[in-house]
Amino acid sequence: MSFLPAPAPPADTRRPRRLRRALPWVALVALLLVAQALLVMLSVNYEAARAQERVEQVATETAIEVKRDLSQHVQRLQALLWNDTTPEQWRADAARLLPQHHELLRLERRTPQLQIVAAVDTPYRLPLFAQMPRASQEAGAEVACAAARRSAMPSFSRSYHVPQPDGPGLEVMDVCIPMRPAAHDAAYLVASFALNTVLETVAAAEQARAHELSFVEGDGTRLARAGAPHGAGVYHAARLVDLPGAALQLRVDSAEGRPRLIPNLTTALVLGLSLALYAVVVLLLRDVRKRASAEAALAEALSFRKAMEDSLITGLRARDLEGRITYVNPAFCAMVGYSADELMQPDPPPYWPADAMEEARQRQAPRDEPHAAREGIETVFVRKNGERFPVMIFEAPLVDGAGVQVGWMGAVLDISAQRRVEELSRQQQDRLQATARLATMGEMASLVSHELNQPLAAIASYASGSMNMLLQPDDDTLPLVRQAMTRIAEQAERAGRVIKSVHDFVRRREHSREAIGADQLVDAVLPLVRLQARKSGTRIEVDVPRPAPQVVCDRTMLEQVLLNLTRNGIQAMDPATPLAERVLTLRLRREGERRVRFEVSDAGPGIAPDVAEHLFTPFFTTRSEGMGLGLSLCRTVIEQHGGALDFESRGPDAGGGTTFRFTLPIQQTVAAATTP
Amino acid sequence: MSTSTASLGLPMVYLVDDEDVVREALAWLLRSRRLLSEGFSSAEAFEALLDEQTSPGRPHWPSAPSCLLLDVRMPGTSGLALFERLAERGLLQTLPVIFLTGHGDVPTAVSSVKRGAFDFVEKPFSDNALVDRVEQALASSAEAIQRRRAKERVERALAELTERENEVMRLVIEGRPNKLIADALGISVRTVEVHRARVFEKMEVKSAVELANLLRENGVG
Repeated sequence: MSFLPAPAPPADTRRPRRLRRALPWVALVALLLVAQALLVMLSVNYEAARAQERVEQVATETAIEVKRDLSQHVQRLQALLWNDTTPEQWRADAARLLPQHHELLRLERRTPQLQIVAAVDTPYRLPLFAQMPRASQEAGAEVACAAARRSAMPSFSRSYHVPQPDGPGLEVMDVCIPMRPAAHDAAYLVASFALNTVLETVAAAEQARAHELSFVEGDGTRLARAGAPHGAGVYHAARLVDLPGAALQLRVDSAEGRPRLIPNLTTALVLGLSLALYAVVVLLLRDVRKRASAEAALAEALSFRKAMEDSLITGLRARDLEGRITYVNPAFCAMVGYSADELMQPDPPPYWPADAMEEARQRQAPRDEPHAAREGIETVFVRKNGERFPVMIFEAPLVDGAGVQVGWMGAVLDISAQRRVEELSRQQQDRLQATARLATMGEMASLVSHELNQPLAAIASYASGSMNMLLQPDDDTLPLVRQAMTRIAEQAERAGRVIKSVHDFVRRREHSREAIGADQLVDAVLPLVRLQARKSGTRIEVDVPRPAPQVVCDRTMLEQVLLNLTRNGIQAMDPATPLAERVLTLRLRREGERRVRFEVSDAGPGIAPDVAEHLFTPFFTTRSEGMGLGLSLCRTVIEQHGGALDFESRGPDAGGGTTFRFTLPIQQTVAAATTP
Repeated sequence: MSTSTASLGLPMVYLVDDEDVVREALAWLLRSRRLLSEGFSSAEAFEALLDEQTSPGRPHWPSAPSCLLLDVRMPGTSGLALFERLAERGLLQTLPVIFLTGHGDVPTAVSSVKRGAFDFVEKPFSDNALVDRVEQALASSAEAIQRRRAKERVERALAELTERENEVMRLVIEGRPNKLIADALGISVRTVEVHRARVFEKMEVKSAVELANLLRENGVG
């Protein structure tokens, strides 16, 4: 994912950073754990509280119920007392009443001295005091009756245990109801209740199933119990049942145990949710981590790209479709000397040379054809300090993410250094060529002059000698002079032979002639011409029909002629002609059936008449470094090829401009067919 | 040409040039000005003559006024090399050298003039001017030969003096009177006078001053 291998930070700095980064997550997880534990605890506590509450409620209800039940019994017993006053009658009523109420074990009718007048036992049980005499358990009833007499109200006794032959025994409580008006034989009614039966009666079925209900003493001793066989001992509640003369401690113990964690719905829900939360957190964590690493990679790639753009020496420039600059890199700014802000605003850009605006505009226009971009365009920019420099531009369409072209991306190379080197090497080459040519010419001249000097010296000697003799003639003079004349003739002929051999040497070059397309000749020199033209900023226009007719020629010589003429033209315009008008035109035209005409036209100031007169004279030159052989050699070469070289100059008054033209015979088709 | 040079014999011009035609034409030209010439086709051929003429036992060469027209550029030994050898032999005074140069040899010719050549002439030359220079060279040669001869004569005369006469002559040249010479040599004044007369006779002089001049001019004594 990354563009560069990230440099590994030292281990000691990496660890704290990782630790620091992990800290929030650890804290988050810890908090979640705490929160969840609290939640579970709270929910469990809530459960417990609910259960406790339920127990409390049951206890309250049961206590009320016990009290109500007992007071109803008391009322019912009072009713029994009011209905009849005779013991027989009472006995019958009691016997009728007892089966209806399980709680009631025994009814006694007592005298004011507490002597039992009559007693009826419940039919459901063995008589209460079958095992133990009533007298042993009298204390409770006596205290109750004493209280009842004092308050003239029914009063309950403390409970007491009555062993039973068929079981563990019963916890029994007596109530003493004073009669009023008191009957003649009886003043009190004492009723005995079975406490456990009271509990069983009052406890609703639902409550009884879930709770163990019991009456206990202050020290926790259980007196009677009902309901669930065994309470869990976790949730319990105690209520005091306040009865006249006595109080009962009611204890309710729920069968429900301590709330369990897992089967608990709330807990399960909380657990599930928190598990889901964990999952989400983990997912989030991974997402964050992934995002962070992507972000880091992106940042790295971005900085890499930025560094790349900044360190490039190639100027980068983006333009929108209207030609406004939307992006430049530092190299481009350094190249043109403007800041990025200065470059963004204006149209046209400030680095376009003022005299080439139109050209620059046109160059931007026909960028629709796709292949134009790759080749690169050469042009001239202006730095902020006014310096002009040549650049090479490579432009490609800038396409956005949606595939729509939004502008142009261009790479701009400053090629001035390259140009300078080229120019330098070209000048050097020129100089070398000139030197070589001079050396060759010097050698040739030396040879020729040596060859010519000998006969010329001899001729001169004979002639002078003859003259000397003829001044003072004697008899020998005539034959001697004749001899001298013969020698002179011989030597003159020898000199002629030397000249001829030189001529032959020149003519030998004719063998190197070949048939070639006239356009190819132009094409061959064009790169060199452009090279020459670059320094002065001259534009080269080529007007050549293709295919052009073929000519038979010494290719090297003719190329040299074309080079000479183009160089003359370029030099004629620099610096006389304004930069915008510096155009050199190379034209090729057919002239009749048999000839083709080459034209080299410049826009220079033209040729002055006095110069024109000597134009083709050997060793005549207007330039300090010239040899003066160019045009005369050109004419010789063209004439050797059976053509003619002339020129037309308009002169400065007529707008200037000079055209040199020469014609060459066209290679006839028959000959062309045989020439390879 | 002075009368004294005529006594030396006919002047001779030596031509060294590999070109027969040039040599021949120059000879013809010199002849039209009544000058004798001898041609050599190479430096080696001329050196053979030199060796023959300057072999031991022969009188000093050249005895007649002479001059050498030397082509710079020749196959084999070049004109410059020949010039160097002439300089080594001390012949540049009696045999002045005029270089004939073709195209491009001018700088070498100039440097050789600085080292003792009489002149250089560029081909093709203005012929009569060349002959004029040749005659000047011959005159220079004649003078050199005469100087050489005078010196030879003095040396011969000195050789004829006896030891005593030589001693007397040294003292005479120093300008001492006879009395002092007699004292110095331990002889009588009379004897000194006899010796002195014999010295004057042998040296063909009339006075002590003339004797001193003669010796000084010829670089002897």
